[in-house]
Amino acid sequence: EFRFGSCRVEGVVLPELWEAFQAMKHTVQAQDNVTSVRLLKQEVLQNVSDTESCYLIHALLKFYLNTVFKNYHKKIVEFKILKSFSTLANNFLAIMSKLQPSQENETFSISESAHRRFLLFRGAFKQLDIEAALTKAFGEVDILLTWMEKFYQL
Amino acid sequence: DTAAFLPAPQNLSVHSTNMKHLLTWSPVILPGETVYYFVEYQGEYESLYMSHIWIPSSWCSPTEGPECDVTDDITATVPYNLRVSATLGSQSSAWSTLKHPFNRNSTILTPPRMEVTKDGFHLVIEVEDLGPQFEFLVAYWRREPGAKEHIKEVRSGGSPVLLETMQPGVTYCVRAQTRVKAIRRYSAFSQVECVEVQGESLPL
Repeated sequence: EFRFGSCRVEGVVLPELWEAFQAMKHTVQAQDNVTSVRLLKQEVLQNVSDTESCYLIHALLKFYLNTVFKNYHKKIVEFKILKSFSTLANNFLAIMSKLQPSQENETFSISESAHRRFLLFRGAFKQLDIEAALTKAFGEVDILLTWMEKFYQL
Repeated sequence: DTAAFLPAPQNLSVHSTNMKHLLTWSPVILPGETVYYFVEYQGEYESLYMSHIWIPSSWCSPTEGPECDVTDDITATVPYNLRVSATLGSQSSAWSTLKHPFNRNSTILTPPRMEVTKDGFHLVIEVEDLGPQFEFLVAYWRREPGAKEHIKEVRSGGSPVLLETMQPGVTYCVRAQTRVKAIRRYSAFSQVECVEVQGESLPL
């Protein structure tokens, strides 16, 4: 299960997500020509506290589901990687639907910190041409999964 | 033309046991003809964000029999839509869609088959191998008043696991339960099996 601070997510098997992404990784990352830029840079994911992690993962998954996956889907069909994509997207949806970041006042500053990290990521995304940004963001799912692994317990 | 109008398959349903999901439907029968079927699925993501997208099933695009193992297609614990179309030559029927989306967390989990044996003074259990998603919880105890129940987690089936070194003349009992983390559920316990090792007390 995942434990992002107080947010617990059961019913998702992380190795299945890795398997799905590995099946797409080479195809997708080969399309990324902007090698000098990284969206999920260290300032976004490093030293994230447990409490902050639930806010951050919720924002990131929401962005991936609503923006990256949705707009990159034509390429997915073109590359014929629909099954693996479906596994990844539906498991991200399963995770997100179970995340309930606390909305209490005392955690306001923490959620703000997480939001600043997310804005760093989204800002970098918006700096790029949309096609390049979608390709890079999708290709960086392994960075996201590696970070999520820290909060996963067998 | 016998197939001017090819009826769509009816009575779609999913039978799921121990995370094996079988989609079945009533066959379309045309005397003297062989009808094939195409099965497609969409997860909750597709139905929410791109409902026009349907994905061909791994094993049944096409298939001849009125059933399809969709286990490899259902890869997240979210609701899935499933649909079937009949084809005959260049003719295709309309799609028939499963009335209620299927979620793998509704699978029926049966108690695991197990074999409890003695290897010398060792109490050994082997639980059936149900696949990588399955873990087992094994409970064992000495059959005597006030005996404490011991619990052991077995990560995978199909190989013998040592539970305890037994004392001669004491009966040991075992039962087991299936667990699937991907759906956060577990089965009922199996029947209890007991064994006893004869002989003198243990050598010093």
